[in-house]
Amino acid sequence: MNRFSLGSVVAGLAIIFGFTGCGSYNRLVTLEQNANKKWADVQSVYQRRADLIPNLVNTVSGAANFEKSTLTEVTNARASVGRVQLDPNKAPTDAAQLQQFQAAQGQLSSALSRLLVVSENYPQLRATEAFQNLQAQLEGTENRISVERNNYNTAVQDLNTALETFPTNMLNKMFGFKPRAFFQSQSGAEKAPSVNFNFGNSPAPSPAASP
Amino acid sequence: MSAVCAHAAEIIPPKPAGYFNDYAGVVSKSAAVRFNEQLAQFERETSDQVVVALFPKMESESSLDDYAQRIAQAWQVGQKDRRNGVVVLVFVQDHKMSIQVGYGLEGALPDVTAFDIRTRHIQPHFRNGDYEGGLAEGIDLVCKAIRGEYTGLGKTDREKRGNAAGGAGLLGFLIFMIVLLMFIRIGRRRGGFAYSGFGGPYVGGWSSGSGWSSGTSGGGFSGFSGGGGSFGGGGSSGSW
Repeated sequence: MNRFSLGSVVAGLAIIFGFTGCGSYNRLVTLEQNANKKWADVQSVYQRRADLIPNLVNTVSGAANFEKSTLTEVTNARASVGRVQLDPNKAPTDAAQLQQFQAAQGQLSSALSRLLVVSENYPQLRATEAFQNLQAQLEGTENRISVERNNYNTAVQDLNTALETFPTNMLNKMFGFKPRAFFQSQSGAEKAPSVNFNFGNSPAPSPAASP
Repeated sequence: MSAVCAHAAEIIPPKPAGYFNDYAGVVSKSAAVRFNEQLAQFERETSDQVVVALFPKMESESSLDDYAQRIAQAWQVGQKDRRNGVVVLVFVQDHKMSIQVGYGLEGALPDVTAFDIRTRHIQPHFRNGDYEGGLAEGIDLVCKAIRGEYTGLGKTDREKRGNAAGGAGLLGFLIFMIVLLMFIRIGRRRGGFAYSGFGGPYVGGWSSGSGWSSGTSGGGFSGFSGGGGSFGGGGSSGSW
């Protein structure tokens, strides 16, 4: 009888530890999946913007003597975005790589906004429905980019925090989980405000700027 | 595109009590009740949640788009699995408004349509100070665009939740009636007690340090409760 109870205690402990380990492992996997999913969302909104550009260029270059330099700038920026490709299914672990990606996308953002500013000088172009539609889509896409980037940063923050805290940090080494890189906020517009006075419902929390 | 801004304090207003909420006081009470009932009925028929809120001004230094998205997300308008919410926000003194479209309705109400509704149908009325007219047209068009995407359950989210607690509610009511009857009896016995009646259902507006105060209230008011929807920045925002 004694033998049995000792055995069952040991077995019980092993099971308990096993379960906590599995639970933590599963939690890390879930967090990692979530970060990957959010990264895929980020990629898809950037892709959506890239897809709009040929249409935009066509519409704008149709306008009488439209300033060509801004158009070239947009085309070039789009091309350089194409050169910095990151795996769309895996959240990046390399901060430098992500920064490069972000810089290329940022260049495209500013080329596009310059183009929209220049277009102010072409009232006839702006009055066309095609241009207005494109502008609405572009603005919507920029908003989506900012939202998805925030969501991604939040997911990365959750994962990275779990990787650094007990007990999940033990598994970190065993199974080779890696922390993921954050988007840096470049202009204030990209990030959530630091103070959020919200009566209990939490919107996208402001992620830390640096990991 | 996104405006440059300093990150500063901002106030995300808490979930509103109704589907139509005029915290700015620019719409007549009868119209507000009508809009509210129209939108509640729309949720019963389609499960889509459309919430309209008018505020005096923006309580944020972020860009309009960012702020509006955060509000829509915080209110969780739309059903959780369908993500079928639309939030129309108007900041009267700023002459700014935004239509935020939940993920699940981006196909039925794309940015271009939201832009069209905002700039060609709502804002022309707003420029003439006709808020009711603009909102009536805007609400109709938004509902028209998204109708057919999902089918409703005949109940609003709040009515569904109310049902779960229906038994307890009935019991509470019975106890309340018994206590009331006892009081009336005691009052009669003493001769001096007069029952003065109680007001209609209180529809909670809210007030905070910012000075916004409640707008809509009324009898038979259909309350709103967010179903857990989420927003990704779709829609259209701008000034008039």
